[in-house]
Amino acid sequence: MLDLPAGLTAASVPPVPDPGPLARFFWDAVSERRLDILRCDGCGHYVHYPRPVCDRCLGESLAPSTVSGRGTLYAYTGVVQAFHPYFVDKLPYVLAVVELEEQPGLKVTTNMVDAGYDELSCGMPVEVDFREVGPGFVLPMFKPATPEEANR
Amino acid sequence: MRTVDRVAAVGAGYSRTGRGTGLTSWQLALQAAKAALDDAGMTPQDIDGISLLWGVAGPAPAGLDTVDPMDFGYMLGIPALNWWGTAGPSYVGPAIQGVTAIRAGMCRTVLTLRIINQRLSSGQELAQSATMGPIKAPGDSSFTAPFGSVSPVFAIAGLPARRHMDLFGTTEEQFGAHVVAQRHHASMNEDALFRDPLTLDDYLAARYVTKPVRILDCDYPVDSASAVIFTAEDRARDCPKPPVWVESMSYSSVKYMTFENLDDFNDNSPFHAARELWSRTDLKPADVDCAQLYDGFTIIVFQWLEALGFCGLGESGPFVEAGHTRLGGSIPVNTDGGACNVGRRHGANFCIESIRQLRGECGPRQIADAEVAVWANAVGPFSGAMLMTKDR
Repeated sequence: MLDLPAGLTAASVPPVPDPGPLARFFWDAVSERRLDILRCDGCGHYVHYPRPVCDRCLGESLAPSTVSGRGTLYAYTGVVQAFHPYFVDKLPYVLAVVELEEQPGLKVTTNMVDAGYDELSCGMPVEVDFREVGPGFVLPMFKPATPEEANR
Repeated sequence: MRTVDRVAAVGAGYSRTGRGTGLTSWQLALQAAKAALDDAGMTPQDIDGISLLWGVAGPAPAGLDTVDPMDFGYMLGIPALNWWGTAGPSYVGPAIQGVTAIRAGMCRTVLTLRIINQRLSSGQELAQSATMGPIKAPGDSSFTAPFGSVSPVFAIAGLPARRHMDLFGTTEEQFGAHVVAQRHHASMNEDALFRDPLTLDDYLAARYVTKPVRILDCDYPVDSASAVIFTAEDRARDCPKPPVWVESMSYSSVKYMTFENLDDFNDNSPFHAARELWSRTDLKPADVDCAQLYDGFTIIVFQWLEALGFCGLGESGPFVEAGHTRLGGSIPVNTDGGACNVGRRHGANFCIESIRQLRGECGPRQIADAEVAVWANAVGPFSGAMLMTKDR
C-alpha cells in the first residue's frame, strides 16, 4: 500500500487510505494513475465499494476492471470549514460525487479541480484528473470534461 | 405466545440539557429516566424492558462512562429485565425496537432513552489531531476521507442540499425560511436553548460551513438525555396522563450503508420508511396535525416533508417558503423549535414534542385540538418514523 516517508504529520497529508485486502487494488491502480473498479466476471456488473459478491447475480468471481474516468457530476459542496488539519490551508475545496459512465448509480467520491463551486452544476460532464497530494500519494480527482470529451 | 396490539407512550422527560453541564452519561440517563417515570406515575419496578442508544455523535471527549441497558436497569433497582437492547439510528432505533418488543409480548413496559454527550468542537478536533502523524482512513472510509469528507455535514447535508437546489430550484432563502420558522416556534418553548427571533437576513448573514449549508442549518451539540416510556394498552389506561398511541411505525435501511454512496441523495430511506408508515394505517398525511421532523441539518426536514407526502418530490422549498410549516400553517413542523434550538437530543425531542402536543401540554405553541402527530428521525441509509394519536 501507500508507502509514505517518515516524519509526516496529520497536517501534511490528507487522511491516508488504509483499505482492507479486497480494496487494495483500487489504491494500487490509482498510484499508477488508473481508475479500477471491481467487476463481476459473470454478469459484468460493477461493485463499488468492493465486496466479495456481485449484488446483481450473487457471483463471487470479481476482478478489477479499468474504467474510462468519464462521468457526470452527481453532487458537490463547497467546503469552507476544515475538520482535519490537512485541509486548513486548502479552503475552499469542492467535495464531490461523480457518477461514472460505465453504469447508472456507480459513484465515486472525489474533489472537483479546475473549477470553483460557483462554476459547477449537477449533471455536467467530468473526467478524472490524477493529482499528487503528498510524496507518492495520488488521488483521483475530477475536472470539467474537455470539449472533445464532453461532445463524445 | 400472547402478543399485544396497542402500545402507548405514557411518560416522557429530559435531563438537564446544555453545554458543559459537567454531567456524566450515567447522570444524564438517570435524570431523564426519573423525569419520564414521574411523568408516567411509575416506579422502576413497573419497567421490565430497556432500550437505549448511548454515544457521542462525532469525536468524543475522553473518559465518558458507557450506559449499557442491562447495567442501567440494575442501577435503577430493577431486579430483572424481560427485554433489553441497544439500537440506532439516533433515538428512533430505541423507540421502534422498544415498541416492537412490547407488541411481540417480550415485555410490558419499556424505558427508551437516547443519551448523548456533547461532541468535541471542530477546533478541539483540529487541535487534537494536529500533533498526530498522518491519520488513516480504514475500510470504506478510504474512498471518502482522503477527499476531505471528514465530517457528517458534508455528505449528510452539503451534497444533498446542493443537489436539491440544482435539480428542483430550491433556494438558500427557502432553507432560511425553515430556520426562521422553527426559531419562531422555539421562542414559545421555555426548554429551548435559543429563543431570540431570527430574520431571514440574520440567516443569510450567518457563516457557511460547507456551501450551501450555514451554521444555522446545523443542530446544536449539547449534553442531553431523553427518555420515553411505552407500555401495553391495559397498563396505559392506568397511567395518570392520557395515553398517546403508536398508530403506525416504520424502520428503514436502503443501500448503500454510506451517505456518499447512496443510490439517490434525496429519495432514500425516509421515502421507503414513509411508504411503509402509511401502508400500516388508514390515516393519511392530510389527517396529521403536526410533524416533528429531524433537523440534524435543514435539508433533512425538506427530505422528510417530501417523503411523508406533505408536498411532492422537489416541492419542499416553495412549500416551506409559503408558510405551511409555521404554527398556524397547514402542517406545523418542529413546534418545539427543533434540535437547532432545543439542542441535539438526536431525535428524541420529536417524539416527546409529539406526545406533549397530543396531550395538550404545549402552552403558547399548542396546536388546537391536535389529534395526530408524526415524528421522523435520521435520513440517508437508515431512518424511521412513527405516527401517534390521542384517544379519538
